[in-house]
Amino acid sequence: MSSEEQKRQFELYKKRVAKRGKPFYPHAMFDDTVMSFVVVSVITGLACLWYFTSGPEAGDSGVLGPRYTEEADPGTTSFVPRPDWYFYFLFYLLRIFKWPESVILGTVGIPTIALILLILVPFYDRRRERRIARRPVAVVAALLVVASMGILTYKGATAKESLPAESLAKVPEWVQTQGLSAEGEAGARIFAQAGCLGCHTYLGEGTPNLGAPDLTAEGAKNRGIQFQIDHLKCPSCVTPGSPMPPFENFTNEQYQQLATFLEESKGPKGGG
Amino acid sequence: MARRRKSKRQQQLQALIMAPLDWLEERSGLVGAVKYFLFRKVPAESNWFHTLGSATLTAFLVQLVTGVILAMYYKPSPEEAYGSIQKITNDLTLGWLVRGTHRWGASVFIILLFLHMGRVFLFGAYKYPRELNWLVGVILLTLALAEGLTGYLLPWDQTAYWATVVAININANAPIVGPFLGDFLRGGAEIGEETLARFYSLHMLVIPGGLIGLITLHLYLVIRLGVTEPPWTKAAAGYEFLDDGRGPVRKGLVEPRPRGNGSIGTPARTESEV
Amino acid sequence: MADELERPGGEPVEPEAEPHLPSPTIWPFAFAGGVALLLVGLIINWILAAIGAVLLLVFGFLWIREATSEVRRPPAAAPPAAAPVSELAVAEEEEEPERYPRSVFLEMSTLGVGALIGGIVTLPALGFMVAPAFVGQEHDEVDLGPLANFPKDQFVITTFNSKKDEGSVGRRTAFIRNNGLKNDVPSFTIISNRCAHLGCPTQPQGLPGKAKDVKGSSGTVTIIPVASVSGFQCPCHGGAYDDEGNRTAGPPVRALDRYEFLVREGNLVLGKPYSVGKVIGKSADAKIEAYRVADPGQHVDGPEQYFYPPKVWIP
Repeated sequence: MSSEEQKRQFELYKKRVAKRGKPFYPHAMFDDTVMSFVVVSVITGLACLWYFTSGPEAGDSGVLGPRYTEEADPGTTSFVPRPDWYFYFLFYLLRIFKWPESVILGTVGIPTIALILLILVPFYDRRRERRIARRPVAVVAALLVVASMGILTYKGATAKESLPAESLAKVPEWVQTQGLSAEGEAGARIFAQAGCLGCHTYLGEGTPNLGAPDLTAEGAKNRGIQFQIDHLKCPSCVTPGSPMPPFENFTNEQYQQLATFLEESKGPKGGG
Repeated sequence: MARRRKSKRQQQLQALIMAPLDWLEERSGLVGAVKYFLFRKVPAESNWFHTLGSATLTAFLVQLVTGVILAMYYKPSPEEAYGSIQKITNDLTLGWLVRGTHRWGASVFIILLFLHMGRVFLFGAYKYPRELNWLVGVILLTLALAEGLTGYLLPWDQTAYWATVVAININANAPIVGPFLGDFLRGGAEIGEETLARFYSLHMLVIPGGLIGLITLHLYLVIRLGVTEPPWTKAAAGYEFLDDGRGPVRKGLVEPRPRGNGSIGTPARTESEV
Repeated sequence: MADELERPGGEPVEPEAEPHLPSPTIWPFAFAGGVALLLVGLIINWILAAIGAVLLLVFGFLWIREATSEVRRPPAAAPPAAAPVSELAVAEEEEEPERYPRSVFLEMSTLGVGALIGGIVTLPALGFMVAPAFVGQEHDEVDLGPLANFPKDQFVITTFNSKKDEGSVGRRTAFIRNNGLKNDVPSFTIISNRCAHLGCPTQPQGLPGKAKDVKGSSGTVTIIPVASVSGFQCPCHGGAYDDEGNRTAGPPVRALDRYEFLVREGNLVLGKPYSVGKVIGKSADAKIEAYRVADPGQHVDGPEQYFYPPKVWIP
């Protein structure tokens, strides 16, 4: 489309609006004002909901989260950082690139490229066509962006870590589901804290994306306590080619407890 | 309507209101400008989708007002920030409402920005001659996100602190400039009182200043270039109006087959109204 | 004056070809300078005030003389007064080719002076905004208390204040393991808990014991022994490390940072932090690839290190 044609079309637009348009005030402004009222009501409503369902203590969470979390502690070893919800997509993007060589793609690369593409939209989409049905590429691109942002935001919001502090809270639940003995429970504590869930999964907890086996029903294989202890001390000696690192620093009692826990884990049905 | 002779009271009222306006208009032309803004024509087909822009502006104004008031009570130092936030939320009269409004207004502002941008994209409203306004809009979006980021640190709670640690390190990850950028944003090697004061200044003065300036430019361009018709109108489809009133002729991007009865939108209704 | 007289008429009249204006003079400026000097002198020094008064009188006299010259002068003297104007007009016409270069000069000097004003105001401010961030990044030494608090071959979560005068902002955590003596020299593994991906607080994978507060010359130090640590895990983006701080999984670009240390009067004292490419070997026998401390996410080895210039401003 030549720029002469563009100019002519814009002149026609101006004539059209001058001839048939409605005055901004009060016709369009009425809509604007109603919409603004809705916006202000929603904001005030959210503020009220947030305040009246939460308490004055740090982390005392209501429907919309706490008023504030604990005071900033740069020396913490138990806090799980999360951004505000509208940065969840970026947060999850960072989790996707889990190789050192690709970190820069998540931090700088993709966001920068996306921003440049966004800024330049009017400069590479130069067609005059505005009807939605005739802009399939634009519409598909928009839908893809919305879908991926939505998925990333959802994944970011639900992302969980198999952190020692978080897993430990699950131990009573495990004891009940699997019917663990006292020794098995002690083993479960070690299991939760020693980072096993950094690779394995157990009753829905843990990190499924590293490909390590699920240990919920490990005991159903009936491999025996001694096998488990040997395997913990040197996985690749017992199962050649196992990528699992050796755990050499436990006491004999701890090995015993951990192995008992694994052997008692017969899966939700077996344990009753 | 026949004009009746006004009572003395009406005349006084007239003098009281109109005289200052006339005075202002004669010296500034502002009244004319406001009149032009209010009574300019917008396309007859403009609808609720077109209210997203002004809704975003409303959300921004809410942020501006509540932010200024919060600044009267907030103390931007690591020792006092958390305490002042607690005080604002729990102790001061209506402090919870102002802080709550500011906090949730931020989310609503961001959502509306994205919705507004989506509307502009789907309507193709960024096309000639409105490319510059899209550009301004995208810069506004990034500034708004920066506003969200800098504001997130201010309560100085755990969430705030660690989100900022990550955010600054993301910037520090940029090739070549990263190491400089990181230290510049932190105001040193580690996040400390300089970082908080710096973010406070950015959040309160620098970025809002930029936002206000660019929003003004954005609105000026909207008023100058007009509002686009929705893409489902015949005007957007490439039909155009002839001045001689013979109705529309097809021009430009049209299908080779005849369409409809040749009328445009609901001209009969609009014209009788106007 | 002419303007004032025409106003009531209201009609837009072309201004006179030669409006009746006082001739240009610089005396009022000098007069004002005299006034200013007099006032300043009254506050600071009577000599200045006296000079100011003299200037005021002299230039005031000159100004009055100048302003009343037309009144005092006989009417016949008027034509010569107009002459310079017409002369100027003629001169302008004659000098037509000269006008262009002069306007270029004016443009250049306007822009130049404008830039100068901008520079004088903004450059120091910008410098003030940027420079302090890069100056004075020394690390204080931190006294962590007696060596006896660090049992052999066991990690201890140690939380301390890295900046005495900055309060809780300076709180940092290190994972410290006493490796015992190597060649009669004490060996410690001191690992920072900041993830090498984007700086989140990593957690040790082990069995934490009881916390203990130790008061020392660097304030309170909290120590929590952790039994059988198999590694460290980041709560943000899935980074994981072994017990030497080497990356085992996830996005971290290098091993966990470490701290230099020294032993002073039986106490463990923390020195500067440094970044680590990777660690070969274990505990006391470990060989550490040490680099100048870098922000999390910045590569220190491999080809990517050239993306991240070292922070040479850190002492």
